[in-house]
Amino acid sequence: MSSNRPRVVLHVDMNAFFASVEVKERPWLAGRPVLVGGTGRRGVVASASYEARTCGARSAMPMGQARRLCPQAVVLPGNFELYHSYSRRLHEVLARFSPLVEAVGLDEAYLDVSGAGGLFGPPEAMAASVRQQVRAELGLDCSVGAGPNKLVAKLASKAAKPRACRGRLLAGPGIVVVAEAEVLDFLRPLPVASLWGVGPAGAARLARLGVTSVRQVAALSPGALEAALGRVAGKLLHELAWGRDPRPVQPGRPAKSVGREETYAYDLVSADEMRLRVARMADAVASRVRRSGQAFRTVTLKVRYADFTTVTRSHTFPAPQVSGPVLAGQAEALLGGLGPAGGVRLLGVSASGLVPAQACPGHQLELGLALPGQSRAEAAWARVSAAVDQVRARFGDEAVAPGSALARAAPRTGKGSAPAREG
Amino acid sequence: MKLRCERDTMLEALSLAARASSGRSAPTALGGVRLQLQGDKLGVTGTDQDLTIATTVAVAGSGDGTVVAPGRLLTDIVRALPAGAVSVQGDEEELHVSAGRAEFVLRPYRVADFPHLPAPAQSAVSLPTAGLAEALRQVVRAASSEDSRPVLTGVLLAAEPDGLRLVATDSYRLAVKELHDAAGVLPEGQRVLVPSRALAELQRLLAGGTVAVEMRLGPRDLVFSVGEVQLTTRLIEGEFPPYQQLIPFNYPNKLVVAREAFLDGIRRVRLVARDATTPVRISLRGDSIELNVVTVDWGQATEQLDAKYEGAEMTIAFNPQYLADGVEAIPGDEVVLETLDSLKPATLKPTGAADYLYLLMPVRVS
Repeated sequence: MSSNRPRVVLHVDMNAFFASVEVKERPWLAGRPVLVGGTGRRGVVASASYEARTCGARSAMPMGQARRLCPQAVVLPGNFELYHSYSRRLHEVLARFSPLVEAVGLDEAYLDVSGAGGLFGPPEAMAASVRQQVRAELGLDCSVGAGPNKLVAKLASKAAKPRACRGRLLAGPGIVVVAEAEVLDFLRPLPVASLWGVGPAGAARLARLGVTSVRQVAALSPGALEAALGRVAGKLLHELAWGRDPRPVQPGRPAKSVGREETYAYDLVSADEMRLRVARMADAVASRVRRSGQAFRTVTLKVRYADFTTVTRSHTFPAPQVSGPVLAGQAEALLGGLGPAGGVRLLGVSASGLVPAQACPGHQLELGLALPGQSRAEAAWARVSAAVDQVRARFGDEAVAPGSALARAAPRTGKGSAPAREG
Repeated sequence: MKLRCERDTMLEALSLAARASSGRSAPTALGGVRLQLQGDKLGVTGTDQDLTIATTVAVAGSGDGTVVAPGRLLTDIVRALPAGAVSVQGDEEELHVSAGRAEFVLRPYRVADFPHLPAPAQSAVSLPTAGLAEALRQVVRAASSEDSRPVLTGVLLAAEPDGLRLVATDSYRLAVKELHDAAGVLPEGQRVLVPSRALAELQRLLAGGTVAVEMRLGPRDLVFSVGEVQLTTRLIEGEFPPYQQLIPFNYPNKLVVAREAFLDGIRRVRLVARDATTPVRISLRGDSIELNVVTVDWGQATEQLDAKYEGAEMTIAFNPQYLADGVEAIPGDEVVLETLDSLKPATLKPTGAADYLYLLMPVRVS
């Protein structure tokens, strides 16, 4: 790719992806507010249709609150198999526009189209054909932002989205293109939290300095920012506020992690129950990793207590792994001495360090030695895992679970599976 | 206790005994080496209670006595002393070591704290030194080093009608050696499980050349005497797993390949496998084989070798270290690799003799 050609990055973001897929699959839901997410007492909204958003519901909001705001909403637990299949089709469309497509979650992607100008016309035209083809082949709407880098493209797609405002739905432009020369004007009015890497803590620290907009950040000296946020974060934020984002579009980068979190309707108060939940989630996560043709190296466990104290622990294996019991065993080991303390409201298990399964160094088989007290567990588990995956491919994730995860029916917990949030 | 001797004599005895003393432990008598002077004979003993190595050297003694010195420290000191005569003198309070104008005063351990060592059984049998050294070289490598499965850290010595059989496995590979000229070494039907660490030390002792080896079997331990050195090892308790049914009777696929070329090829291609778990794939077809290592991070390596292959076209993958260990253990110029399929145990053996076999489980690759 020639470096003197101006860089053009598209950010394609599906509108209310999970909810829209549900509506597409069940046309009678069209026009009704739809909430997808955990349906239990502490479930969280993973996706809200725009109709639901006009009532004030939004993703990441506790489901209870969303239902109070929008009592007429149809609440669905989510069907991730289905969302995955739509996501695959989305990427088939995007692949026609550039070989440089970086997937972010199921419903977002960056495309580096710097080299494709001659083929598809200027960014506006290209963005329009992306939208049109996604619409034609998936039957879903997306928003497309274009800019000289990932930061600007992402903010542009956000500006292109429909918005719910004071109970009414405002149609978005669908496409927003920010040319190099317009970047600073585009960024400056935005709130500082829209910059990549500014979380609630960073935003609060800046607010104490009276800094709330990108304009104000850009006006600060790098030194002042570094003093407020630390050296690395300060330097980065200064660059971003000036519209500079060197991150490349990394094509084909698969999901960085696969995980699952559950928020419980009632706090878990026994260590056994914690282990049970962790084992069950670990098994499901391993299954999803295998389905994606990948292997994992790192297992992370997350425990959030009733007082919102959150503990995260992780372990990295020397070699990639695929088996559910290995993941579950490690997750349980990480759980180790963590007791329920004052109650556990959320547990999460994730697998990261994902590599293609072919790069998995393979599995050293064992001789069938009959050792007292020693099972030939690993080899046997590999076969079991394969069978489990086949069952799940046909009948869904819940069709089969390890006995340890079923040991006790859960009398007091809601089905609060909280999938990754969508934007 | 007071003596003088050549530095190198002392050093040799100390480093030998210190191999058995537990080096990393806190300063306790187990990390010590016992020096026992009787007349002009100095006994030097190190032990961690599982393994004991004792040797005797001739010195100029002038006062009998026993001292337990910090093993590794004393060895390091003696090694660093100038060449020539070393004087050692001491009691339970202080140990003086000097040579030339250098002098060290060490604090010894209490002699009473040094482990009590069992007296070896009386009846000794002789072992064929050369055959034993080769058998140890071929078998010890297959034993496990994981303490979680103690039985597999041992080498099985089993009395067979036509000799002594040595067997070791770490559950990934299995080595079996028949030592034909060692019939009657163990009573008929007797099986003992000897820690591989002790046999590795025995192997080192035998590497020096051909000396007589004697063996004494006690109820809980086994003693090997090699010249002036006595190596005592605790036996592993427990039943060695049945292994004979794991060895397939016949194989449909047979590869014959030059040993050195095979070994060199494996060593070359495995260079790109930066971790121990990346397998080497062997493609078997016609009269050449291909070795292949593929990694995501570092790239790949391929090497073709001339070979004689009869059987179905197939690819089988192995842990390169385990494979190299097996090939290296085979005597002679050629190696036979026999396989069933890519998921079943394969066998490495020499072309001629039928007294050695190395069974190896493949790595399943996607």
